[in-house]
Amino acid sequence: MDLIHYLLLGFSVVLEPLNLFYCFTGVLIGTLVGVLPGLGPVAAMSLLLPATFHTTPVASIIMLAGIYYGAMYGGSTTSILVNIPGEAASVMTCLDGYQMARQGRAGPALGISAFGSFIAGTIGIIGMMLISPPLVNFALKFGPPEYFSLMVLGLMILTFLTSASMVRALMMAAFGLIVGTIGLDNISGLARFTYNIPELLDGVGLVPVVMGLFGISEVLLNIERKTKREVFTTKVKGLLPTLEDWARSGWAILRGTVIGFFLGILPGGGAVIASFVSYAIEKRVAKHPEDFGKGAIEGVAAPEAANNSAAQGAFIPLLTLGIPSNVVMALLLGALIIHGVTPGPLLLSQHPQLFWGVVASMYIGNAMLLALNLPLIGMWVQLLKVPYVILFPIIILFCLIGSYSINNSTTDVAIMLIFGVIGYLMKKLSLEAAPMVLAFVLGPMMETALRQALIKSRGSFSIFFTRPISATCLIIALALMVMPLLPWFRRRPGLALEQKETT
Amino acid sequence: MKKTFLINDILWMTLALFVCIGGLKLGFGTFHQPHAGFMPFLSGLLLGLLALVDLIYGLLNQWKTEKSDKEIWSEIGWGKIIITLAVLFIYTALFSVLGFIIGTILLLLFLFRVMEPRPWWVVLTASLITTGLFYVGFKIGLDSQLPRGILGF
Repeated sequence: MDLIHYLLLGFSVVLEPLNLFYCFTGVLIGTLVGVLPGLGPVAAMSLLLPATFHTTPVASIIMLAGIYYGAMYGGSTTSILVNIPGEAASVMTCLDGYQMARQGRAGPALGISAFGSFIAGTIGIIGMMLISPPLVNFALKFGPPEYFSLMVLGLMILTFLTSASMVRALMMAAFGLIVGTIGLDNISGLARFTYNIPELLDGVGLVPVVMGLFGISEVLLNIERKTKREVFTTKVKGLLPTLEDWARSGWAILRGTVIGFFLGILPGGGAVIASFVSYAIEKRVAKHPEDFGKGAIEGVAAPEAANNSAAQGAFIPLLTLGIPSNVVMALLLGALIIHGVTPGPLLLSQHPQLFWGVVASMYIGNAMLLALNLPLIGMWVQLLKVPYVILFPIIILFCLIGSYSINNSTTDVAIMLIFGVIGYLMKKLSLEAAPMVLAFVLGPMMETALRQALIKSRGSFSIFFTRPISATCLIIALALMVMPLLPWFRRRPGLALEQKETT
Repeated sequence: MKKTFLINDILWMTLALFVCIGGLKLGFGTFHQPHAGFMPFLSGLLLGLLALVDLIYGLLNQWKTEKSDKEIWSEIGWGKIIITLAVLFIYTALFSVLGFIIGTILLLLFLFRVMEPRPWWVVLTASLITTGLFYVGFKIGLDSQLPRGILGF
């Protein structure tokens, strides 16, 4: 009964005109950035973060969350019609979605992608509602050792799943930890690596780092590549999938939903990894795996369902433990803190209207997205025809203003450009940016937890292994580190994807 | 020998060494009482060790699975990339002095021309319209504190 009571509270919050407006704005912008290659949800959320300062915390989080799951919907359109993923979580959709478009089946591909996303998103929200409250009680048992070990586990999962070379992914995580130490030391107040630059005393900002690594670097790559985008189909017909399509996609959607949801919950997981893993599993269980890559509708349905349910699941560790499981959640963490809300076990009891308001907004947002992505598909197709020569200066301008307006500081803009160059070089060398950013965000929290735990244990590391939750996390992390050394484990989904991309 | 990956690992090791020294200067403390340099030192040490492992692994198998130097660096329009970056850094340096409107019009004039040359009147019109839209959206709509510069608004 409590659940229904709280859900009704959530709907009463989200149905306020202001919140409804922000929900619509969020999913609209999300679809837009999902459709446009080069400007993902992270960059868009960073850009609009300052714009939310003037509104309520609930409206602000509703809008930012809408951008995130809205981008998951929009990303598939570009993947299917142009063979370029609108954002990273739609990479797998390209493989079969574009082939379906080439065979004149762009409509069913877009249709199953939107319906699959809707089904997965809705199931994801229900899962979030059911899992979050009990998890909060569990999270109250967490002390510094548990928090530290959980964050180590999160980083290990991310490095394990995202890159072919775990050593290099861990190198990037270590680099992220280093960048995270810049600024005043949380405990002693000593300035670290600031070189008398006052703007660095608060540390390097997340928004300039993210915009540089994901926005500017992408623009630099596009300047270099001279790629010509070709929209495959101008008239999209028959958006409703046939009965046969549904028969082939039904289980794929359900499997994708479950895989995506649980990978979304895991710290270090997220929509990108979920779509990779669900595609790999779908191919493995398929009766005709040889059809994958040639226009199999399951190859569209499963990753699209997975990335949407993962987007919902990813909210759980942030809202219950206060730990962001990916870069997007790190941005939401920043937004919550700016609005004076501390995410964690007490959020549900102290700010129920925020938690349940956001949950309810997802139901409404998903319904809005279905309407935006199916009847209005023609509008998004037209948008794809905007030449990159026009898009790229606009993307750059968004990044410049976005990073400047956080603190009104040109130092932040310079930092963004520097990280743009670093991101570009990292992409050239196949070094992953995701572990770097997550480590950068978690670094200060990890450091505080580590130092507090060591002070508490009088310098003994046994504190991490004598407490059950902490020990379990570290053992799993250790197992993940050792696994790539085992020959049979080298065929993991992340590696498979990377090999596919390089060929 | 794939020099790119060799240089890459050496650069990471150099950075790691630099951070470790920085960490020690800040003060490592003890495990019982960790000081400000504790985390930087450990992070630097971790980065250095991982880069060393990557280097040794690469030297042993000659980076067989990696792209060649030519594949990574050839056919890149370096001119465009370097000029774009230079212009962006100049824009950043002059942003407060010139202000949003003048600075952005000049930046867009360059960016709209850099990808493929178009007639100046097209570029100028596009720059003016885009700057105007951004000004209305951010300065008026979202109340962003964009620099006024020499125009005073």
